Amino acid sequence: MFLKYKAVVIGGSAGSFSVVSKILSKIDSGFPLPVILCLHRLKHVRSGLLESINLKSNLEVIEPHDKDSIVPGKVYLAPSNYHLFIEYDGSFSLSTEEPLNHSRPSIDHTLSSAAYFYRDKLIGILLTGANKDGAKGMKDIADKKGFTIVQDPATCDVDTMPKMALRLMTPSKVMSPDEIIQYLNQLAR
Amino acid sequence: MIGETAFRDYLDELKKHTPYDFSEYSDNSIHRRIRKILKDYDITMQQLLEKTKTDEDFVEKVVEEITVNTTELFRDPEVWTSVYDKLYSGIKGKKNINIWHAGCSSGMEVYSNLILLSELGFLDRVKVYGSDINARMIRQAKMGKYALKFNLAQLKAFNKALKKKPILGISEIDFTKYFDFDESEDSLVVKEFLRKIPWFVKHDLVQEEVPFYNKFDIIFCRNVLIYFNASLQSKLFKRFHDQMFPGGYLLLGNHEGMSGFYKTKFSKNGPLFVKNNSFHFKY
Repeated sequence: MFLKYKAVVIGGSAGSFSVVSKILSKIDSGFPLPVILCLHRLKHVRSGLLESINLKSNLEVIEPHDKDSIVPGKVYLAPSNYHLFIEYDGSFSLSTEEPLNHSRPSIDHTLSSAAYFYRDKLIGILLTGANKDGAKGMKDIADKKGFTIVQDPATCDVDTMPKMALRLMTPSKVMSPDEIIQYLNQLAR
Repeated sequence: MIGETAFRDYLDELKKHTPYDFSEYSDNSIHRRIRKILKDYDITMQQLLEKTKTDEDFVEKVVEEITVNTTELFRDPEVWTSVYDKLYSGIKGKKNINIWHAGCSSGMEVYSNLILLSELGFLDRVKVYGSDINARMIRQAKMGKYALKFNLAQLKAFNKALKKKPILGISEIDFTKYFDFDESEDSLVVKEFLRKIPWFVKHDLVQEEVPFYNKFDIIFCRNVLIYFNASLQSKLFKRFHDQMFPGGYLLLGNHEGMSGFYKTKFSKNGPLFVKNNSFHFKY
């Protein structure tokens, strides 16, 4: 099967947990790309998020270790209190350097490094949130000719994050969560 | 964005003109740190190169910028709990316990550990070493002085975690035993009796020989190796292995693993890597 894209990267903050859960519960179990998630999370609450996301997901969700290779069909969640990067050799790397946009993990860091590695073979999705994190990363993906989707602000719990992105770049599509699910599932059908 | 070759050329020059070698640091990370230096100092790659060749103080600043200094008091509370559950039986019979915090930054992990050792009654039996590449961090570690507000929250979070899951019966720590709190100065200072225990030394883990004669029962090296490439990581696993007693413990960061040959030389016990007794494999 020929696939135009090699990875999906999703950023989200306030309100994004339920959207991500929905996407992963409706995504085809044979989804052929790796899905990399960078969600803002509470610093002192380490456990819980991974377990809750896994509960309904059709794909296995894991928190990657440093230098892990990226495998299609798996969902990778940026671990609490680390930045998650895609290395130049296509593996993951982690960092505890200073927070970016008051966030660690920072969505910009994950998105920008993914854009640099995957270039036009990347789908970047930015969901609901109350922060400007992710806007710059989405612009980097667009600049490398990747496919960019911003969640329709009208469907967001908090629309600051998508709006900040829309101010900085023009995405390939603005979509509701249902449309995002439909779009991802038709990629491989 | 500076190209990939430009940052590699810079690392070569840095190696040539200074004692520092970052050529085996993880590409993405080192590239990003150098871009940040260019931006923060508002200089070009060429200017960075010139300053590196001529200005020793500037080189120290570059090293400070490149190396990451994140550390916290009782970072990852639940890790400390499970570490001591596993460690305790291994160290309780020992007369001397040698501990090395490799890449200790400003020393917060060293003092956190000393507080637990004190609570568990080990303080008179420990020899503790902390090393870091960054001279400024070593100076701060020796002073044991930190910002009050942020760290107070850390201490509270740790006590909360202890209440939920005590460490060998310890369900709360009275931190006034270990720190002087000064609100007007927004500082928290480690008390003298604790501060005089550890020996802090500036040491480049990558380049320099290990500066200790003794072997170790416990080595902490948390969130340091993530900045190195896989081959450099392997070298350091060997180095730690050589420097440990059989049965000794190595603690890495939460999301760091071990790969390659040395993986077979350690067994995993909870978050700890335990050095195998290699007696049978000697050749």
